Amino acid sequence: MFLVDVSPSMGKMREVEALLPNGETQTVEMTNLEVALQFVKLKVQEMVRMCGSYGFHILTIYHERKTDQCGVIVFGSRKTNNHVNRKQGGYENVDELVPILHPTAKTIAQISELNPAEEIGDPLDALVVGIETQDQYLGNKKTWTRKIVLLTDGENPIEIQHLEKIAQRLNDLKIKLTIVGVDFDDEEFGYVEEDKSDIKRENEEFYHTLVGTLDNGVVGNCTAAIEEISRPESKQTRSQPSASVLRLGDVENHPEEAIEINVKISKCTALVRPKSFKKFARIGDEDIEMQNPGDDSEPTVEYGQLTREIRYAFDPSGRRDDEEADRDAEEETEKKDDLQDVEKEELIRGYKYGSSFVPVPENNFPKLETKRGMEICGFFKDEFFRREWSIGEVRYVFAADKSPLQQVALSSLVEAMFQEINGKEIMYYAITRWITTDGSEPKMGVLQPVKDESANYLLWVQVRASHMPFADDLRKWSFPSLDQLVNGKGQLVMTHPYLPTEEQLETMEDLVDALNLMEAGEKDEDGNRTPWYDTRLSYNPAIHRIKQAQFHAAIVEDLNRQPLPPPHPELLKYFEPPRRVMKRARPAIDAAREAFNVKEVPKTVARNRKDGHVRARDDGDDTLLLDKQPNKKIKLSQTQSQHVSRSQHRRVSPATQRKVPKRSVSDDSETEPEPEPKDEDEEELLLDKKPKQRGTSAVPEHDHMPPTPERSVSPAPERDRAPGRIIGTTEPLEDFYKNIASGDLVTKAVEDLAFVIRTIVFRPFSAKRTDELLECTRALRKVSLEEDEIDAWNDFLRDLKRRCLDDTPGNDYFWTRLSDLGRDMSLIGQSEAERQGGRSDVSDAEADEVRFRRGVTRPQFTDRIPSSWQPAWLIDLA
Amino acid sequence: MASYDEWNKVDDDDDEELQDASMFEGKRDVILFAIDCSESMLALHDDPVYEDVQTSRFLTALEAAIQIQKKKVVVGPNDAVGIMLFNTTRNSEPISQGVEIKPGSFLFQPIETISAPKVQELIQLVDAARGDTSYLKETFPPVQGNRMAVGDVFTSCNWIMRDGAPKTATKRVFLITDEDNPHSGPGRDRLLTAARTTLVDLVQAGIVVEPFFISSEDKLFDLSKFYSSVLLPTNIIDDDEAEPGVLPETVSITRIEDLLDQMKFREVPKRALFSVPFELAENFVIGVKGYGLVTAQKKGSYRYFVDLGDRMELAESRTVWLQKGGKEVPKDELLSGMGLGEAVEGKNTKDRIDEDVKHMRLTDIGLQTFYTADEIRSFRTLGLEPKIKLLGFKDYDALAFEDNIKHSYFIYPDEMTFSGSKRTSNALLKTMAKKKKIALVLTLMRRNATPVFCAMLPQAEVRTEDGAQSDPPGFHLIPLPYADDMRAVPEQFLDAERASDELTGKAAPFVAKLAVKDGYSPDSYPNPALEFHNAQLQASAFREEFDPETFEDLSLPNYDMIHKRAGLMMKQWKEALLADDSATIVVASSTGAKRKAKTTTASTSEEEVRGFYQNSELNKLKVDQLKDYLRSKGLSTAGKKADLVDRVSEWLDEHSG
Repeated sequence: MFLVDVSPSMGKMREVEALLPNGETQTVEMTNLEVALQFVKLKVQEMVRMCGSYGFHILTIYHERKTDQCGVIVFGSRKTNNHVNRKQGGYENVDELVPILHPTAKTIAQISELNPAEEIGDPLDALVVGIETQDQYLGNKKTWTRKIVLLTDGENPIEIQHLEKIAQRLNDLKIKLTIVGVDFDDEEFGYVEEDKSDIKRENEEFYHTLVGTLDNGVVGNCTAAIEEISRPESKQTRSQPSASVLRLGDVENHPEEAIEINVKISKCTALVRPKSFKKFARIGDEDIEMQNPGDDSEPTVEYGQLTREIRYAFDPSGRRDDEEADRDAEEETEKKDDLQDVEKEELIRGYKYGSSFVPVPENNFPKLETKRGMEICGFFKDEFFRREWSIGEVRYVFAADKSPLQQVALSSLVEAMFQEINGKEIMYYAITRWITTDGSEPKMGVLQPVKDESANYLLWVQVRASHMPFADDLRKWSFPSLDQLVNGKGQLVMTHPYLPTEEQLETMEDLVDALNLMEAGEKDEDGNRTPWYDTRLSYNPAIHRIKQAQFHAAIVEDLNRQPLPPPHPELLKYFEPPRRVMKRARPAIDAAREAFNVKEVPKTVARNRKDGHVRARDDGDDTLLLDKQPNKKIKLSQTQSQHVSRSQHRRVSPATQRKVPKRSVSDDSETEPEPEPKDEDEEELLLDKKPKQRGTSAVPEHDHMPPTPERSVSPAPERDRAPGRIIGTTEPLEDFYKNIASGDLVTKAVEDLAFVIRTIVFRPFSAKRTDELLECTRALRKVSLEEDEIDAWNDFLRDLKRRCLDDTPGNDYFWTRLSDLGRDMSLIGQSEAERQGGRSDVSDAEADEVRFRRGVTRPQFTDRIPSSWQPAWLIDLA
Repeated sequence: MASYDEWNKVDDDDDEELQDASMFEGKRDVILFAIDCSESMLALHDDPVYEDVQTSRFLTALEAAIQIQKKKVVVGPNDAVGIMLFNTTRNSEPISQGVEIKPGSFLFQPIETISAPKVQELIQLVDAARGDTSYLKETFPPVQGNRMAVGDVFTSCNWIMRDGAPKTATKRVFLITDEDNPHSGPGRDRLLTAARTTLVDLVQAGIVVEPFFISSEDKLFDLSKFYSSVLLPTNIIDDDEAEPGVLPETVSITRIEDLLDQMKFREVPKRALFSVPFELAENFVIGVKGYGLVTAQKKGSYRYFVDLGDRMELAESRTVWLQKGGKEVPKDELLSGMGLGEAVEGKNTKDRIDEDVKHMRLTDIGLQTFYTADEIRSFRTLGLEPKIKLLGFKDYDALAFEDNIKHSYFIYPDEMTFSGSKRTSNALLKTMAKKKKIALVLTLMRRNATPVFCAMLPQAEVRTEDGAQSDPPGFHLIPLPYADDMRAVPEQFLDAERASDELTGKAAPFVAKLAVKDGYSPDSYPNPALEFHNAQLQASAFREEFDPETFEDLSLPNYDMIHKRAGLMMKQWKEALLADDSATIVVASSTGAKRKAKTTTASTSEEEVRGFYQNSELNKLKVDQLKDYLRSKGLSTAGKKADLVDRVSEWLDEHSG
């Protein structure tokens, strides 16, 4: 029974903070009544069946119980409608809004309809009506749990009479009374309302006193109560154990020796996934806004739930698979123009055997004949158990219940799997072939024996089974050794940036010790700290967050005004290491961070190539593509935001929301000491490269390096290449062209060439190589333009200019020479980019301007600049 | 019933994690077998398996190629394979207009998607060679005198690949030769340099060479004679992953008998599932890649084809969302909400359910009642970006057996995203292994995944005696179950009977006797259901009869061994069990065939049913009684009475002992 105060004071507006998906908070205004109703609706919702009843989706049900029923009574309403009033008069302004029933979505809608009224209602009147209504409905059914929840702001006078009688009645009927007060003081929640009105203070005291006289009653703050409702709670699913037989030996040919134990198998772990949402879309054309029939209020839009369908299409042109496979993943989801749709009924089922077609025979291929049961193939000692081979959910295996003989049999087997060999306790695992039902596919697994005590100190025994991989399931890839590095002569290398030093190993040991979680949890009964993190207390944040969102969407009318509240802290409690540990570990972390000096390598920008090919890359590039897809991302969210604004009115367009600046590791490097020059070796080339903004350090550090000789000398071809670079400093152009020709690593090649050019330009005596470098730069621009690396070029050029001119030592000479080449070396502007089918964020004017700002002092340039370009730099000059 | 793919298609935003393995299905793998066809490869020797049969290394290599093709075709039906022979005088046709491969090499099968006829062609060749030992030598005459330059071999490979392999594929050359010193004569240095240069060309074209060098007791394959100078310089220390160069790891030196096993290791190209930063602490981040080393290999599912008369064309499927009336809704206009299953009227919203039980909602413009895809994603990820975040360390035994929910991943440092990743990983690995610690980490593997807590196990590198890597260095990432995923022990099993020490004492001997030496070895257990299916698929593709009798299920226990070793002990244990006091405790209808308990309920007892069974009068029992009995055996109770009778008698047939 919910008793809701709808007195005018409940209409007071309040500000509520809500967390947006981008992590910002937003303040929205809502009435006290709306806040209170949110609690009611969430509570009612738990009782409501939430379901979609079509398609092949199984009903989505949260805590559905037929015996969960509720009614809603409001007080303060203009209408008086309650049976106590009808019977004996009085009890005015109390309205039985929703009679007691199993609530449905309609009930929630009805509750949402509530508005603050003009009258003032007496909560005690409502309480009496509530008690009587409930009692009348339930009659003398003893088994029902009776609860009454009263929601109020406590701002209105209460006529205190018959209090003892009421309390007596509540206790007699074993009713649990909960007073949920808007802005009530709550010590536990840590909330105290400032400038509380006197009447409210008095009323709060009254409620506390009332509850004090009850066997079962509680007063709480409304906001705290709402948070409590969203506390995650995992549903206890009981799985039906399935019967099976545990066998050892050949039952058919050696019945006198073979062992059979009747067992029941039930789930120990089972992956639970978040419930899915239903899909909707706006109906009708975008510009037509339907007029609400009947009245001339605001225009309305209509949304319809969508149904899912699988469509089939084929390519009538019969192109070979080669081209098919070259398609970009992105295109895959979109329908290709030249595909022809085809009805499923016209299709023939078949397997692909390479490029050959194999029809599926009627009833498919016969399956392997198998017999239900678990067959033990052998035992092995626990030291050989490979934990990482467990590939699935875990099962309990019990002896059949109600069958002592079977229980004894399994018990003796389990106990026999614990043995002592040479004074050492060992445990045997059993290799087992498991077939769930006759004819189903065999699975391999291991059985682990478990001895455990139940509450009454009897041992119960069980075996746990975990799924093991077949030979086909294991990939025996090899990875380069982390310890054994070999140099060109085939000798082992003992010191190298890839190998940790003694000092580094020591800091790591300290770090591992400092971040010990074994004694970082709560204290147990004896005052000893327990380990931090317990699977049994960790709730799947996605499941509970989505559930919260689903509940929320069903109870609010406008997500803009009432956005989803932040996730319950319980969901995030393991997201950060315990503070105590972190505090203690800080020095160890700082030391390790400094010792290892890890630097982020600038990202190669993966992007879609215009020619539609994604070239074969090394595996890592793939995932880069899949994970980051920066360009695609932006494109997507742009179109999305357009559609969104069309389909729903949003607070902020998601495209802008998503732009959370990515934290880069090197951002912090300012606080770090500069690397000691003695540490610096070829690897530092790479490390230095990162903090572009502080390019000054890069130059002096290379001072002592001898300038790389001209190409006539032939050093070991690899020595000049910084780790991770595919272009060396000796013959950068050749390296570059080789890479471009192979076509795989264009982005990387462009990036690396830019890096190499910068490196050489700021080396001493680089003037000798100026021509070569200009050649490189020219090649870089050409490829950048053609291969859609325009941004990379523009960034490179701006950076180069700044470094040449502004930094010390800089290289004025090189920049001048570069400038002499004029338009051929400018930033790539929009129109130039477009001619190549690319895109540039540099305007044409800027392209001219940035290039020539310095050059204008040299009159000879003007000859070479076509007249159409003049305005930009001329204006600048003026 | 809905077809297979309708049940298994998953929603992009709903079930990203299910797509783990399928992520790379679109990516193709191309292998070119480059097989040495020299005199020594063709030299005949006795077959190690069959008596009175002669074989050659070349023949064995071809057989291995067949096996690899057969395996690949069912795992990745889009993968392509080609075969090139070198050191033969047989000349090739130009591979395409004006392009000829180098003399000395012969393109036996150009690179094409594997098909039944291609495999059969190869099988026929091998069969012919078996019948006539000189057949291969005549068909592919080996060169006399100077061998083909290794550089030319690589060049031929490059051209063949360029001509036949799709751009996006991973391209690999399986080089098979038994000659460790192909150029011993004059000009060795020049040939060596040429080989190295052409190999670099190959590598830069994205082609990886994976050599299989055949070694024998008579003639050990010595890398240092020639190949180490060709293969190694490209990858000393220099980043191995930046350049898909020839890594020492990809060099197999093998006995000819083990060639196939070696090839099987490399059957699937190495691909990372995810690449994320690993945050050890704030501002202390290294790069790692995640690989799936253990993934359940499933049967290929059937597809839908269009019969175009002259050929069968594959029909591609895609999921669409339809409005009422069948209009397709573009993906970016989709909104998510709850279907209420019931019409609800709000202040500003009006819902109705139309005749197709579809939910419609009318709202004031300006109201937002649904979530966008971005919001849904943020609910899933709780705002996390893809990464692995270290939370702390626990003792090794803090990771329980039952804390498992799905397969593990393998983590290896990625120097390309963060320089210093390798030394940091190396130090972390060493320290954790030394202190016997596991790490607890919070992981978001991909942008659309759900956060999951994982235990990270250190895996030190393990090498076999001959130096081959048996376990790579890195970390195993084991996803931990959430409270939501865990089930308690059902109550009815809580207070089970226990065995006496005496009985346990009788079980211990056979447990110990049946212990296998090294634990569970996946290699011993090929997936029988998968093999059975694939064998039929292959037979059908080859238009051959499939004989189920020839199929051997290797996952069955070795019964003979079990009974020979422990049969007697098992028998004694059984006798002791039946004599045990506790065995006589009667609770309810027992299912054991060995001892009959009296029934306390009205349902039919074991004896009764057996009585009816022996008199062939099972059909006199009522349907309910049959069902009760079946249920007590954990069998299905579906079907008509006749089915139930059959099922009961079938069970009793099997358990009449």
